[in-house]
Amino acid sequence: MFDARQTLELLYLLVKKELKVRYKNKFLGYVWALANPFAFAFVYWIAFKFIMRLEIVNYSLYLITGMFPWVWLSAGMVAGTRSFVANASLIKKAPLPRAILPLGNVAQEMVHFAFALPVIIAFLWFAGEIRPSASWIWQVPLLLALQLAFVYPLALGLALANVYVRDIEYLIGIGLSLLFFATPMVYPITMVPEAYRHWFELNPLHALMQSWRSVFLQSTLDFNHMAYAAACAAVTAVIAWLLYRKLAPRVGELV
Amino acid sequence: MTHAVLCEDLWKTYQRHRPLGVKTLLLGADMPRDTRFAREWALAEVGFQVPRGRSFGVIGPNGSGKTTLLSILLGTVQEDRGRVSLDGRVASLLELGAGFHGDLTGRENVFLYGSILGMRLAEIRRRFENIAEFSELEGAIEQPLRTYSAGMIARLGFSTIIHSPADILLIDEVLAVGDASFQAKCHRALREFRARSGTLVIVSHNMKEVTEVCDEGICLDLGRVVDAGPMGGVAARYQERMAAADPAKVKGGALGRP
Repeated sequence: MFDARQTLELLYLLVKKELKVRYKNKFLGYVWALANPFAFAFVYWIAFKFIMRLEIVNYSLYLITGMFPWVWLSAGMVAGTRSFVANASLIKKAPLPRAILPLGNVAQEMVHFAFALPVIIAFLWFAGEIRPSASWIWQVPLLLALQLAFVYPLALGLALANVYVRDIEYLIGIGLSLLFFATPMVYPITMVPEAYRHWFELNPLHALMQSWRSVFLQSTLDFNHMAYAAACAAVTAVIAWLLYRKLAPRVGELV
Repeated sequence: MTHAVLCEDLWKTYQRHRPLGVKTLLLGADMPRDTRFAREWALAEVGFQVPRGRSFGVIGPNGSGKTTLLSILLGTVQEDRGRVSLDGRVASLLELGAGFHGDLTGRENVFLYGSILGMRLAEIRRRFENIAEFSELEGAIEQPLRTYSAGMIARLGFSTIIHSPADILLIDEVLAVGDASFQAKCHRALREFRARSGTLVIVSHNMKEVTEVCDEGICLDLGRVVDAGPMGGVAARYQERMAAADPAKVKGGALGRP
C-alpha cells in the first residue's frame, strides 16, 4: 500500500514533527542539541586533564570528535528501541510500514548531529587550529551514511525485541553506559594495556568513532576501521531484516 | 472482482498472557473456560462479503471480536487461518487522534495524518483547502492541537480521512463525533463516499445509527458470526436477545446467544 515515495514522505514528516516538537516553545532551541555532548566532553576534560592530569595530546579535540557521533548513536538507539511500544496507537490503527518508526528516530538524531557540525568545525578550528578541509564535503556525508547504516539495523532489531521483552528499553540505557567506557571514548586506545588491546579493537563502535576522528582530525578516511564498521553493519542488517520478517506481523497485537 | 471486501473462514487466536510463576509450575496452568473475555478463538469461522459501494455493519457485545475483525481487514493484525481480500485502498478511523501530535498545528497534523493514511504530499496539498473547509475549524487550523477540544480533534480527523482517496473505510465507534450539525455533515459525506462507490465497514453499538447507515451486517458473539443479513433485522434480533438475556447468564458469556 505504501510505495517507496510515500514511505520517504512519511519519514520526512515524522522527522520534521520530532524536530519541531523538540524545538518548539524552547527559548534556547538549537542550543540544547549542543549542550549535551559539550557538557559531557567538558566534564571528562575536567576530570582527566585537569584533575588526574593525564598527558593526552589534543585531548579536548579527541573528546569532542567522539562525543557528538556517540550522542547520535546512543540517543538514536534509546529512542529507536522504544519506537514500536511508544507508537502503539499508530501501529494498531494504521497499516504503515513499521520499519519506518525506528528509522525516523535514528534519522532525527542524525539531523541533530548535522546541525551541530558547524559548531564542531568551529571548535576544531579555534581550539585545535584545524582548518576546515574541502575533503570534508564528501567525507562527512560518507560517514553519515555509514553511521546511519550502522545504527538503524540495531535500533530496528532492538525495537522488535522490545515488543516481546519490555525490559530491553531499560537494559539499553545501562548497556550504552557500559559500552561508553568499554569503547575508547574518554581515553585513547593506546592507553589500554597491550595484552587487552586487541579485544578493544574488535569493538565496532571503536571502529566507527575512529573513522570520525580520522576525518575530523586528519581529513583522511580510515579505510580499515570504516570497512570493519561497514561489515558489522551489514551483519546486523541481515539479522535485523530476518527478525523483522519473522516478528513484525505480530507486533500489531503485542504492543 | 465485484466484492470490495471478502472474508472467508477467518480464524484468529491471541496468545494468552499467562504470567509464569512458581505456582503455575507446581500446580500446572488450568485452562480457563471459554468465556466472554477468555477464550481460545478471538475469531472463528468468520465469513462475509461486502459489494462495492455498500455499507456493512458489525455489531455484538463487548469482547466479541469486532475490533479484531477490523484490525485484520486493515492489516495491522494478522489472521491465523482463512482469507481476506480487499479490493482498493483501505483507511481506518479506528480511533480519532491516533497519529496526531499536540504540539503541531492543525495544518501540520493534517499533513502528518494524511501521510500516515497513505496519501502523497502532493495529494494532501491539493486537498488541504477542502479538508480545512469541511472541518469548519477556520482560524484554529493554524493553532497547536493541544488547544483543541476533543470535538475539534474529531472534526479534523474525520475531515482528513473523508478526503483521503480510500476505496474502503473502516469505522470503529466514531460516528458520534462533534455536534449534531457536524454529525449530519459526516453522514452526508459518508453517503457521498458510497455514491462514489466507496465501501464502508462500520462497528457500532448504536443500533439506530447502524440500521440507518448500513445495508447489511453481521452480529458477532464469542468470535463467531451468530446472525447475518439485512442490517435492520440483525440489529432488531440482537436487541431482543440482549433484552432477553438473563443477567446470570451474562457472566458465563452466553450473552446474546439465541
